[in-house]
Parts: sequence; structure tokens; C-alpha cells
Amino acid sequence: MTAATKKTGARGHASEEVRFAALLLAPCLLVALLFAFYPILYSLYLSLGGTILSLPGSERIFMGAENFIELFHDTVARAALAHTLIFVIVSTALEVMLGLGIALVINRSFRGRGVLRAAVLVPWAIPTVVASQMWRFIFNDNYGLLNYVVFGADPSSFQAWLADPAMSFVAIIIADVWKTSSFAALIMLAGLQMIPDELYESALIDGAGAWQRFKSITLPLVRSSLLIALLFRTLDAFRVFDLVFVMTQGGPADATNVLQFYGYRKIFAEGFLGYGSAISVLVFFVSCAVCVFYIRALGMKMFGADE
Amino acid sequence: MAAVLASALIALCIITSHASCSDPKRVSPNVLRFVTWNPGHPEVWKSIIAEFEKRNPGITVIREFGPSSSTSFHDMLAQKLRNRSPEVDVFFMDVIWVPEFAAAGWADPIDELLPPAEREQFLPGAIAANTCGGRLYGVPLFIDAGMLFYRSDLLRKYGYRPPATWQEMERQGLHIVREEARTGNDICVFSAQFKQYEGLVCVMQEFILGNNGRLFDPETRVPEIQMPAAIEAVRYVREHIIGRLAPRGVLTYQEPESLALFVQGRALFHRNWPYVWEIAGDPRRSRIAGRVGVTYLPRFPGGRSRSTLGGWQLGVSAFSRNRKMALGFIAFLTGAEIQKRFAIEAGRAPSRKELYRDREVLAANPQFKEMKTVFLNASPRPRTPLYPAVSDALQRYFSTALADPDASVEEEAGKAADRIRWIESMMRRSRAQ
Repeated sequence: MTAATKKTGARGHASEEVRFAALLLAPCLLVALLFAFYPILYSLYLSLGGTILSLPGSERIFMGAENFIELFHDTVARAALAHTLIFVIVSTALEVMLGLGIALVINRSFRGRGVLRAAVLVPWAIPTVVASQMWRFIFNDNYGLLNYVVFGADPSSFQAWLADPAMSFVAIIIADVWKTSSFAALIMLAGLQMIPDELYESALIDGAGAWQRFKSITLPLVRSSLLIALLFRTLDAFRVFDLVFVMTQGGPADATNVLQFYGYRKIFAEGFLGYGSAISVLVFFVSCAVCVFYIRALGMKMFGADE
Repeated sequence: MAAVLASALIALCIITSHASCSDPKRVSPNVLRFVTWNPGHPEVWKSIIAEFEKRNPGITVIREFGPSSSTSFHDMLAQKLRNRSPEVDVFFMDVIWVPEFAAAGWADPIDELLPPAEREQFLPGAIAANTCGGRLYGVPLFIDAGMLFYRSDLLRKYGYRPPATWQEMERQGLHIVREEARTGNDICVFSAQFKQYEGLVCVMQEFILGNNGRLFDPETRVPEIQMPAAIEAVRYVREHIIGRLAPRGVLTYQEPESLALFVQGRALFHRNWPYVWEIAGDPRRSRIAGRVGVTYLPRFPGGRSRSTLGGWQLGVSAFSRNRKMALGFIAFLTGAEIQKRFAIEAGRAPSRKELYRDREVLAANPQFKEMKTVFLNASPRPRTPLYPAVSDALQRYFSTALADPDASVEEEAGKAADRIRWIESMMRRSRAQ
């Protein structure tokens, strides 16, 4: 915007506009500094110390890199990082694919579309804690819906899904996919609606089949909103916490312990501010890396389409 | 524009002043704030608190309910105390929190409340659990210890006496379950709490103690989970109980789920706390009312039956502005009269010795008479201000050893022991500061 004004207007006029723009941006910047940068820097500072809330005197311990060295050797943290990454990759991929499917369906015009669109959004509107509780009931070994659907009314073959380490991890992914696919769908629906109908009409006249129309018109044009959905979902999936907190508390066999839950346990349950902050810093850098990756790999396509 | 800004500012001021502690209605010399979990017998609590208010005119007790899970309640309460909130006067403390709350300076010492002669009236283990560095930080109200509940009708039917060892329970159980299955009665041998949470530490400590092992040496402060006795006990649970005597679902069970299995008549034996007696005997909440017995927990051959000490204490916040009133409230609740009511009306095991000889208490809870020795011998969990961290390591170890068939018990025990040693080293370092 400023570049454009420089080209067209006089210099004095431009600098005045720049100043005005800065003034308008200042409150936003201030809020960002206060609520984003300050906590991050403070976490960084805490992670260098050994503060334990229940031990007076511990706030004077200087750990330097020790917390990070300990974190590096901490097999639990490493496993939690692995769980988090698998969760992010699998759930995001499923959500974006499923979301695209949902978006394609609710983009068509048919009777009752308004109702269906609203219905699709219901899972996303339910608070995660409530949804997690619901899924915990569904997977319950005695009265869970899943057992009933799979095995009928014979309780002797009922499975304890959440008692199995691998299955409980799958259960959390299922719950997340159910909950947030519609969010991905919503973003991509917006993208779909920007595609002009004329393109499809002329494709039809040219005799293009449904798959060809999807591949050559829909997919390229919906790509930017698909990437935005992907970015949002990835960053959001990194923060997975409530599902684990309600459904499994990290168990069984620590199979569903994710970094955010581990960090929460360290800071809020155990009072290890130093070590817990080191975990937060790790999460921060991993998310940063993901952001940079997305902006590098996809940013051009996303924002630079007209250049 | 200016008007909008001004009104926004005023609104902001109202919001912040409302949320701050200066609101006279929230902290006042006549209001006692009691942070508690949602009690099982609301009507009993209500009438007892009304009684206190009647005897102390002008005082209002406001109860603030936290989550009923001990861990979640701890996190909420610790948050308030960490922020030095004056909105907490009296609070419930789980028995494992006392060293932490004392070291952090959150619980105020209250030695004057119980002079030595009065202290004698309580079960010694419960007083010891509330004492840190020679000072008293809480008064025990309810005491808990693990017990074995069983189906007295089924044991009688097959001519068995309550089992003394885990192996005996296994033999009896497998026999009874097999026979019952023929008559179409689908029942499992054992139900208890094996989810990855605090209760898992309680349950597993009982198995380990029953095999002459220990979690932790309180003198040298060294973890002992890698010792053969402890490993053997864990291995027994992994190989004989999970998925065999108990359904695999117990790996997701806390107290309510495991109790449900028992009171629905679908488990023969059940490990739980004393409150179960009252529920299991109530026909409205139990299908096995009148067919329940209770005994000491089984042991391993050559070991002794030991229970984990649990229970709830009342503490006074160091940031309370109503200390005197708070002490009066605690003295009232933990007095013999009110404890007796809790025992009779809510089935809670009292912390005062004399009540175990009280005819009315025993009429309502005949099991207390025999169980007194269990309470007297109950074993504390590791006593450390960093208990939540130690427990986290133990929970992870036990859950992995029980739920993950590929895990090596020794290896997992080693990891947990390393972690506990690191936690202990952090404590030594902050002491040295």
C-alpha cells in the first residue's frame, strides 16, 4: 500500500500517510507486543531458571541450558513430540481431505442445503471439552456406542478401546477429525464460491467429465483456500490439549501424551516453571519452523498469484 | 469518539474492579470461604454448615466447589494459593499435598489448634501426615485406606473364606467365575483403578508393599521401584490381573467406573476406599445390597497386607484474612460430634480414635471395628514437596508396564527411577540456595 502511494503521490504527502498508517497500526502492534512477544520472551527467560513453585529459593537457581539438555534426554518429552507430530500430520491431512469433500457437497445447490450447511457446522460449534466427553462415552467399554454398533448387544465381545495404547491414539485423532473437518470445509467453501459458474458451463459445453472439471477447474482455483485451511489446521493441531485432557489424561502407557499436555502437567500440576517453560519454548520453535515451512513452500502460491 | 472511548474505559474499570479482590462482598470479616470438592452427600454437608452458622451468628460460610478429581482440584487450589488469593480461608487438602503446601508457604501452621493432649485423640498416621518439620499444617477430617470388598453371597456359595493372598483370590475367583458362567452369570474376578492417574499409584503401592517392596526409601530418599520385590509385584499385576482377572477396561477406570462394575454385580472382588461400603449397601444405588463383605487387602506369600493411606485434611490459607474464624470452623468440623455425623450419615471413616468404639458409629458401619487396624497401619505415599512430579513419573511407569505389552518392566522402572532422582536433585539444589 505504501509502495503504491510513493509511486503516485508527492513525497511529503506520502510520509504523512505513512505516519498516519503507523499511528493506526500502533495499537495493534502494542497489543501484539504485550500479549504475544512479552509472554514468549518471558517463557524464554523462565526456561533458563530452575523455579519450582512449591520450593521457595528455587527461583534463584540458574540453569542455563540445563533444562534444554534435560529435555533433550527426556524420553517422555521425545515420545510426546513424536505423538504431537504424528497427530498433526494425520489429523490435518484427514481434515483437509474430508473438509474438501464436505465443501464440494454443500456447495452444490439442492433442497435443504441451508439446513445441511448449518448441520455440518455443528461439531465445530460444540466446545471441545463437551465433544471430548462425548467421544469418551462413545469409546467406553461398557456402554459405549461404538461397541454397540460393532458387536451388537453381546457385551462379552465388547472392546476397551481406550485401554489400548495404539487405539486410544487413533480415538483422539478420530475425535479431532470429527470436530474440525467442518472448519476446514467452511474455509474451502468460501474458496469454492468464488469460482465463477461460467467456467463450469463452458467446460460442460466442451464435453469435460466430472473428474476433469474437478481436476482442471475446481482444484486449481480452490487451492489457495485449501492451503489456508491446511495452515490453520496444522497450527491449531499443534495446540491439541483438551481432547487428551478429557479423554485419556495422557494414558494408557503414556501413548496419548502430547507436548502441550506434558508442558501443562509440568507447569500447572507440578509447578516446574523452568522445565515446563523449556517445553513451551520447544513448542514455540517447532510451530515457528512449521510456519516458515509453509510460507516458504506455499506462500508464493498463496499470496503471489497475481505476480 | 471521545465519548465512546470514555465509556469503554469506564466499562473496563468496572470489569476489572469487579474481578479484583476489593469487592467487599467477596472478602469480608463475616464471610468464611471454604474451597471444597463437590461432596457426595450434599444434604449432610448443608445441614452441618447450617449448624455452624447457627452456633456462630453473623458468620456466613461460602463454599466454592472445585473438581472432584483430586488432581484437578489440586491444580485449581494451587493456582489460587500461588496467586495469594485472599478468597480462600479454609480448604481441603489431599493427604499427599501437605509437604508441598507447607514448603510453598501456602498452608499456615496451625499447631495451636491441636494441643498435644488433643492430638492424641487422632489416629497417629493421620497426624503424622499433616506434620512437616515438626509443625502441624492440617487437621484430618476423613481417613481413607485401600480395602478389599467382595461378594459375600458368592464366596459362601462356593465355601470360600475371604482370600488372604492375591494367589488365593485368583484361585477362588477363577473357580467361581467359571462355575457362575455355566449358569449364565457373566462376572469378572476383580475390579480396581488402573487408569494413568493418581489412584494408580495408590493401587500399585499396595501390591508392592504386600510383596515387602517399597516405592521410595524415606531416609535415603532413593526410589526402590527397581528392586526385585517391586518388579515382581508389578509383573504379577501385568500378567495375572490385567485382561485376566480384570477386564482390560480397568486400564481406563478410576474409582466410579470400577465401583460401577462391582455394584452392578459384575465383579467378584473390588479394591476401593471405605466410602464404598455405604454405596454398595444401598439398594437404590447397588444391585448387590446386603451381599457385600469387606476385608484387608490380600498380600503376596511372605508379605504383609498393607493399604495406601488416603484421606482429606482441612488447612488454613496463609493468605486468609479470617484466620481465627477459619480455625474455629476447622475445630467444629473435626470435633467428635460432627465427625460422628459424617461417619453415620455419609459413611466416612473418622480420624478420631474414640469413634471406632462408638456404638452408633459401629452400628452404621460395622466394618469400622475390624478396619481400624487398617487405618492404623496405612502407608503414606512418598512424602515430598515435589510429590506431583514424583507421582507423574510413577503413573507413567505403572501405566506403561501394565498397558503396553511390548514394554520391559525393568527398563520402564529404571526410567521412572532416573526421573525421581532428578526431581530429588532439584530439591537439594533449591534447598542449597
